[in-house]
Amino acid sequence: MGSVWRTLKRLWQQIGKMPSSNGKDQGQGAIAVSPSLAGNLGYLKKALGASEDLISRELSLGGRRLAVIYLETMVNRDALQRDILHPLVRLQEKPNGGEANLILRLCKSLAVGDIKAEKEFTRLISGLLDGAAVLMVDGYDLALLLSAEGWEKRPVEEPGTEAALRGPREGFTENLSTNISLIRRRLRTRELRFEAIHLGRRTHTRVVIAYLEGLTLPGILAELRRRLQRIDIDGVLESGYIEELIEEAPFSPFPQVDRTERPDRVTADLLQGRVAILTDGTPFALIIPGNLIAQMQAPDDYYERWPLSIGIRLFRFLGIFIALLLPAIYVAFTTYHQEMLPTPLAIAIASQREAVPYPAVVEALIMQIVFEILIEAGIRLPRVIGPAISIVGALVIGEAAVRASLMSAAMVIVISATAISSFIIPSVGLNEAIRMLRLPLILLAGALGLLGIFAGLFTTLIHLASLRNFGVLYMSPLAPFTWRGQKDVVVRVPWWAMLWRPRTIGRRDLQREKPGQHPQVRAVNRQPGEELETGMSRGGAKMIRGRKKGRPAVGRGQKRP
Amino acid sequence: MISKLLTLALTFLLTAASLTGCWDRREINELAFQSCIAFDLEGGQRVLTSELVQPAAASREKGGGGTTLPQRQVIIASARSATLLGAGRETAPGLPRRAYLAHTTAVLVGEEMARHGLEEVLEFVDRHPELRRTTLVLLTRGPAREILIKAQGALETNLGKEIAGLHRWAPVSGFSFIPNLNDVFFDLSNGAAATVLPVVELSPEPFPPILGAGTTAGGGASPGTAATGQRTAQPETINTLYLRGAGLFYHTKLVGWLDERQTRGLAWARNKARGGILELPCAGADTRVAVDVTEARGQVKIDTKGGKLQGKINVQVEGELLEEQCQVDFTKEEALKSLQDQMAALVTAEISSALEQTKGAGADVFGFGGALYRRQPKLWRQLHQRWQEEFKKMPITIEVQAKVRRTGTTRRPWQPRVH
Repeated sequence: MGSVWRTLKRLWQQIGKMPSSNGKDQGQGAIAVSPSLAGNLGYLKKALGASEDLISRELSLGGRRLAVIYLETMVNRDALQRDILHPLVRLQEKPNGGEANLILRLCKSLAVGDIKAEKEFTRLISGLLDGAAVLMVDGYDLALLLSAEGWEKRPVEEPGTEAALRGPREGFTENLSTNISLIRRRLRTRELRFEAIHLGRRTHTRVVIAYLEGLTLPGILAELRRRLQRIDIDGVLESGYIEELIEEAPFSPFPQVDRTERPDRVTADLLQGRVAILTDGTPFALIIPGNLIAQMQAPDDYYERWPLSIGIRLFRFLGIFIALLLPAIYVAFTTYHQEMLPTPLAIAIASQREAVPYPAVVEALIMQIVFEILIEAGIRLPRVIGPAISIVGALVIGEAAVRASLMSAAMVIVISATAISSFIIPSVGLNEAIRMLRLPLILLAGALGLLGIFAGLFTTLIHLASLRNFGVLYMSPLAPFTWRGQKDVVVRVPWWAMLWRPRTIGRRDLQREKPGQHPQVRAVNRQPGEELETGMSRGGAKMIRGRKKGRPAVGRGQKRP
Repeated sequence: MISKLLTLALTFLLTAASLTGCWDRREINELAFQSCIAFDLEGGQRVLTSELVQPAAASREKGGGGTTLPQRQVIIASARSATLLGAGRETAPGLPRRAYLAHTTAVLVGEEMARHGLEEVLEFVDRHPELRRTTLVLLTRGPAREILIKAQGALETNLGKEIAGLHRWAPVSGFSFIPNLNDVFFDLSNGAAATVLPVVELSPEPFPPILGAGTTAGGGASPGTAATGQRTAQPETINTLYLRGAGLFYHTKLVGWLDERQTRGLAWARNKARGGILELPCAGADTRVAVDVTEARGQVKIDTKGGKLQGKINVQVEGELLEEQCQVDFTKEEALKSLQDQMAALVTAEISSALEQTKGAGADVFGFGGALYRRQPKLWRQLHQRWQEEFKKMPITIEVQAKVRRTGTTRRPWQPRVH
C-alpha cells in the first residue's frame, strides 16, 4: 500500500520536474528558408513526409517560379481557389511589373486577410498544419503564410449535458473559433481578452484563456498561465487533460475546476471575475477558480423568477443530501437504529425483508452496483438497442428481483429515489463525485451505523473545507461563512438586489449594478407627466382630466380650416 | 510518515468494514417487534406477557373480502420469573428472533400488580433503554395477560395499534383518556402523588362486531357466497378492547375505581376531555336532546381565604345541538337557557360524583395539591404530610358554564305537515 503511494508521489514529482520543450519544435531548430524554391519544396516534403493531402501547385510569374503549398484537408478549397489561386493565375496572364516588388505585388493582389511573411520552416510547418497555404517564390528567402483554413464542423446545437428550461439553447462545439465567437457575441466589450497557447507536443492543441481585463484578479491569471505553461504532454484531446494537470488536489474526488458546455454560463462566470479555458476540439470549457456552490447552480436559476429559483435550489440542496445519504441512512436505520423508524414503517420494512437472504448492506451494495452499471451501460448503449435494454433493466431490477425475493421493494424504492435525486445536480462532475462517495458511505453505515455515516460525512466535509484552488476556498461562501455571500447560495436574490460580485474573485470591481433599481410601480412614486396611461392611479386620473380640457381646443383647431 | 498513517487508516477502515458480523448489527427482519406488554403479579412471581408482531403476516394479502374479522397478526409470549427482566429473558428460548421493545406502544398493568404497587413497573419501563417514556399505561381488572391473550382485534392487527388508536380517539367521548409513562411520573412526583389509569377490559361483542355494518344477530346470513363457509366457522361473539372507567392510585397503589361517568367528570375538571355527548331530557316524556360538546375547558383552583381551604372547579363546556327527539325550537332564548342549565347540571353531577369517589379513596387525582403548591408553596409545605385528610375534608365548589353555539344545520326540528 505504502509503496504504491510512494511510487505515485514520485511519479507526480517527476512530471513536475520534466524539462519543458513547449513552443519549440521537435528538435529541428530554426532552419531558415533558402532562396532556392526546389530546395525549400524538398525540405517541406521531407518534413511532412509523403502525405496524401499535401498539395503543391507550381506556377511561374514573370519568369520566376513560385509554388503554393497546402494541406488540402485543412483548407477551405473554395476560398483557396477564389482568393489565392485565381488571382495568381490572372497575374500570370498580365505583363510583368518591376521585379523588385514581386512579393509586394503578390501581397496586394491576393484577397486574403491574414498574410504573414515567415523565414523559418518551423513557423511554416505549423502554419501549414493550422490550415494556412504557403506561398514561396524562387529567389526569395522568405515565404508567405496565407490563411485559408476550413474544415468540417458540427453546427451549434443545444448542449447535451446541460439542458435548461429557460435560457439560450446554444452550446459550444468542437471548433474553437465558433466557441470564441459565441462568447464574444455575448460580451461585446473591449475588455474581453482571449489569450492563446498551444499545448501538446504532437497535437498542438490551441487552448484559449478568456477573461475580462480589469475585472479578473491578475494573480489568478498569472498563476493559471504558469500552470498552463508548465504542461508538457504529447497530446491534449479534451479539456479533462488540462483539468487534471492544473488542479490543486489531484486525489480529490470533487471536481475543482468547473466545466460547462454553455456559453451563457461562461459569460456569467467571466462577469463574476472568473477565467474560462477553451480547448480546441471539445465543447467543454473549463472555469477557474472552481467552486462547490457554483456547481450546484443551474443557469435557469438566474433566468427564472427569483422566488421560484429559491424553491428549486432548496430542492437541489435536498437532492444532493438524498443522493449522498439515503441508501446509507436506510441501511443504518434497518440494521442498527430500528427505534428511529415509525412503528408501521418498521413492521412494513421487516415484512418486506422477510425473505431476502442477505443483510441490508449487501442488498444496498448489490443494488447500487447494478445501478451504476446500468447508468454506464446506458451511456454506451447504441441508440437502437437502448429501449430494449432499459426495459429489461427496469423489469429485472424493479419487478422480478422483488418477486424473486432477491431484493426488498423498499430497497428498490430507496435506490431509485437516490438515482433520481442524484441527477438534480446540474454539474456532471459533481454528480459523479457524489455517486462514487455513496458506496463507501453505505459500507460505513453497514459497519458502524449512523456513527459511520457521520464519520464519513465529516471526513468529506473536512476535505471539502480544506480544498482551495487559485487561492479561492472551494466551499466559499459556506465554509468561511460570509453573510454577504449568501445572496447567491440557497437563496438567489432578485437581480435588483444582486448589487455585488463575489468578494473572493470579484474584488477588483465589486459593484455589479446601480443600487435602487427595485421596480417602483406605485403611481405615488412617479413624477407628474410620467404616469402610465391606464388611468387607474390617482395621478392618472388627473392626467385624463387635464387632457379632456385640452382636447376640444385641439379638435376645434383642426376642424375649423 | 503520511503514507504510513494513510496505510494504517485504510487498514483500519477495511477491517472495520469486514467486521460487520460482530457488534450490535441486527437486521430488521431478525427482530420480533413487541407492540404491547402486560405485567402481572402471580403469587410473588412476575409474569410478563408480550405481544409480538408477525411482520410476514402483516404484509400478507387477505384472501376473500367482505366483513371477515381482522385477525391479530401476532404471537404471544409469556413467562414468569422473580424479576421483570428475568421474565423477559425467559421467553428467549422460545423465540427464534430477538425481542425488540423499542416499538412498544402500551403497557398493561394487572390488578394484582397495581394493588402491590406500580413502582417496579414504572422503574423497569423507565430504565430499559429500548422502552420509552411515551409508552401508554393502562390498567386491567384481573390479570392483564388475559386481556392480552383473549382480545381479538377489532380494526387493527395488533393490540399496540389498537390502543394507540384508542389513545387518539377515545377522548372525543370524554369517557376515557390514556396517560403515558411520563404523565404518570409527573402525577406521582408532585405533592398529591395520585394518578388515574384507564381500565381496559374485554367487551364481548356479537359477531360481526357492531363497529361494522352488520346486524346484531350473531350468525345472521348475509348472501356472501365464498365467505359463508368461513363465516360460520367464526365465533358468535368476539372480544374487543373497551376502555371502561379508571383506577385511582395513591402513592402508586391502586385504591379505588371510577366508573365511566365519573371518569368523564374527572376528565372535564382536569381538562382531558376533548368532547362528549350530553344526553338531556326534553319537553315530552321519554324524549331526549343530545348535545355534542365541541370544546371543554377545565380548571382546578384552590382558595385559602381566611385560613380555610376552599377548592374550586371551573369548567366551560361548549357544544352543538345535534339531535332532538322533541319538537322544541332551541333557537329560542328561554329554551336554550334551560338546555344550557341542564347541560351544566349534568356536567356538575358527573364531576361531583367523581369527586365523592376520589375523596372516599383519598386520592387527590384532581390535582388540588398541585394547585395549592403553585399558589402558596409555604402553606403546602406545612400541609403536605397530611394532605390526604385535608383533601378529604376540603369543601369544593363546582362551577360549570355551558353554552350551545349551534344547532346543527337546521333550526326548528322538521315536522310533517298536518292537513
